[in-house]
Amino acid sequence: MLRFFAFAFAVLSSIAFATAQEPRTLTIYTYDAFAADYGPGPILKPAFEKICGCQLNFVAADSSIGALRRVQLEGTTTDADIILGLDTSLAGEARATGLFAPHTLALDKLNLAWADADFVPVDYGYFAFVYDKRKVPNPPASFEALIAMPESFKIVLEDPRSDTTGLGLVLWIKAAYGERAADIWKGLKPHIRTVTRGWSDAYYGIFLKGEADMVLSYTTSPAVHAVTENDPNYGATTFNQGAYPQIEIAGMLKTSSNQDLAKQFLAWLVTPEAQAIIPTTNWMYPVAPVGDALPSAFGDLPERVLSLDEAAITANKAAWIEEALAAIR
Amino acid sequence: MPRSADRALPNRPLRLLGGAAITLSIAALMAVLFWTILEAAEAQPLSAASSIDIPWLLWITSLQAALSTSISLVVGVAIAWALNRLHFPGRGLLAGLFASAIVTPGIVVAFGLLTVWGRSGWLSRVSEVWFGAPLDLPIFGLGGVVAAHVILDGAFAATILLNRLNSIPLERLKTGQSLGLSARTRFEIIDWPVIRSSLPGLGAIIFLLAFTSFPIVLLLGGGPSVQTLEVAIYSAVRLDFDLNAAVLLAVLQIGLCSAIILLAAAAPAVPVSVAQRSPLRWRDRGWATPLQGLVLLAATAGFGLPLAALLIDGLSDAVQLLESPSFWRALGTSLAIGLASAILTLVLAVTLAAARAASSLKFFRIGLGVPAYAYLAVPAVALSLGAFLFIRNLGIAPGAVAPLVVIVANTLLALPFGMATLSPAFDSVVRTRGRLMRSLGLSGSKQFMLVEWPLLGRDFGTVFALAFCFSLGDLGVIALFGTQDFVTLPLLMLRAFSAYRGTDAAAIAAVVLILAVAAFTVLPLMFERLSHARAR
Repeated sequence: MLRFFAFAFAVLSSIAFATAQEPRTLTIYTYDAFAADYGPGPILKPAFEKICGCQLNFVAADSSIGALRRVQLEGTTTDADIILGLDTSLAGEARATGLFAPHTLALDKLNLAWADADFVPVDYGYFAFVYDKRKVPNPPASFEALIAMPESFKIVLEDPRSDTTGLGLVLWIKAAYGERAADIWKGLKPHIRTVTRGWSDAYYGIFLKGEADMVLSYTTSPAVHAVTENDPNYGATTFNQGAYPQIEIAGMLKTSSNQDLAKQFLAWLVTPEAQAIIPTTNWMYPVAPVGDALPSAFGDLPERVLSLDEAAITANKAAWIEEALAAIR
Repeated sequence: MPRSADRALPNRPLRLLGGAAITLSIAALMAVLFWTILEAAEAQPLSAASSIDIPWLLWITSLQAALSTSISLVVGVAIAWALNRLHFPGRGLLAGLFASAIVTPGIVVAFGLLTVWGRSGWLSRVSEVWFGAPLDLPIFGLGGVVAAHVILDGAFAATILLNRLNSIPLERLKTGQSLGLSARTRFEIIDWPVIRSSLPGLGAIIFLLAFTSFPIVLLLGGGPSVQTLEVAIYSAVRLDFDLNAAVLLAVLQIGLCSAIILLAAAAPAVPVSVAQRSPLRWRDRGWATPLQGLVLLAATAGFGLPLAALLIDGLSDAVQLLESPSFWRALGTSLAIGLASAILTLVLAVTLAAARAASSLKFFRIGLGVPAYAYLAVPAVALSLGAFLFIRNLGIAPGAVAPLVVIVANTLLALPFGMATLSPAFDSVVRTRGRLMRSLGLSGSKQFMLVEWPLLGRDFGTVFALAFCFSLGDLGVIALFGTQDFVTLPLLMLRAFSAYRGTDAAAIAAVVLILAVAAFTVLPLMFERLSHARAR
């Protein structure tokens, strides 16, 4: 009998020991470029694991919207605790799924004013046209100036249906011109060299090959050339209508069984320590002050920033995309 | 079955059974994938009428695909004809380079095209130096899309057709030579029957590839006036999450593609004799040889240069890449996946092609031909959705089976190419030697070891090379599976691009191209040697 108790005790204690040893796992769904080689994921992971004593798993879909769709398909059985990498143009739609739980964090000490109860900002940037200063010494300073350029002046865009940068331009023009957006698109039409599936096709396939004078990208793109290639020859346009931001966000799921851990990660993600990793891996602005970790090549933030009402985006996105495509068809 | 043709064919119930089993499995897999999507769509409310102009989309896509197909076939025949006649050092390598176009990620080939033919491309710079003005060719628009497809697919057609031309028996050539056939008559009498047998399969593949082409159409289309159904389906699935609309569009695409596949599968077997590669060199007289030289020159400028441009772009900065562990990991994964898919593809394609050749029943031949092409007709984004849901429904963690799913998907992708290569070849063997094999009472396995393997070894090698290269890393099917730890060369290339590492990406593209050229030069030769050694 005694032996039985001893045995039972040994088993039970080994189980208890195992559970104590087994680290908890935080699962984050995101897009491939964030989680994998070259992206911030491989650096964020060990840094957070050291703090939480847990295991952090990134699960990458091909795109952030793919990650959201995966959670929608998985429903209550999803392993995801957090979805990271959606942006503000998809926030309304993501919120409407009812999948996300409020983060309950105080986010008043960030670089940008932030009042969203469900999502935490990860990083941000502004859409802009990027050009080679040697070939375009006098870049246009507004959409009107761009339209007035000679027809041989070409730009390359991304398709708003398959790429968030492309979607960004649709929103940018809408925010700046409202009802007149279609006219601007019509004016751009003769300048459009092509509309690619994704950002890298436009940037590397068309723009850097010299097939277009400007590419729809981000204000931070020239900094990449300056920092990694020591090449100061690229610039980004500043349009006097104002810049339109893209803010990448993260939110935790209601179905998560690790809400405290998820909250801990989101709180850590906006600290200077984590944000310092962002600028030179994801090439976006950090949401917290990071000092020297933000290369000076990133330049000044735009003075005028446009915005659109989230509900309006969610309700009209499809119509706006169709309006833009119809105007340049 | 008192059909006269049947008496010429050996009776091979096992082959028929094997082919039927594969066909049914593929059909069942496709049905299940589609069913899971439909099930998920049912949970959604029916969408409002979508704003997509479907008739117009169908028209522009069909026009583009029809142009791409017909020009690719003409170009393919011309290149194969020229390569078959002219012998020069580096011929094998040139053929390998042409062949590798189709297996290199299409978008990369389009980049190469721009490097050579673009506004700031090589030719434009030459023109600037010589004539004082840059060359501004209309690359963007329907013309550019068709041109890119012709580069990819015309060169592929040339590879397959060249194999067929090289297998024309020595006796036929000798007879033709002694009759002093003119270049034209020689083409009509000796070459054309062999070529004709391969055209339906090739045409179907090229049409399907062009019809479903997504990144190239967007890159070179010049704007939303040149589109394909695929992009509409992609947007319905991803952006709008409107599965009902996606299913409707996918059904439309599958319906149209099936019509093309049926046409190809219904094409009758052409009884042309085949032999091992003959050593006879018989050059055409008169105008033909200069014309062949011209064809090859044009092909090299049009197809070879863009690929060479990729190599030059990529290799100038490859050193850094070679020091990165993720590159070696990606290379390893790509080679493993490629090898596994290539073996599986070869087994399936040989079984299917042999089964098809063993029957003269039209219905059966069509039945065995159609599912092999199914994968090309189904929109990629629908496949990835279906695969994800299917694996989830089985209760398996998607990440755990990702490599297996990739291997199966790549095999299905390569299978139509394998069938287009092997089916006419098996048909030829059985239809010209069936009576003999029957009278000798050869068993099925003897038929394979003594007749088919020695005669078709080189074609096996081509199929193996095709499947191997195709499978180096297309990961479209596991888009939702969780790809972070799974890295193949093309995926690493995409990652490098999106992290602003253009030089790394270009170097990876060059490595993929080199692998492809090597595979296409070495593998067919290796299989040929192997098959001949066994035959002795």
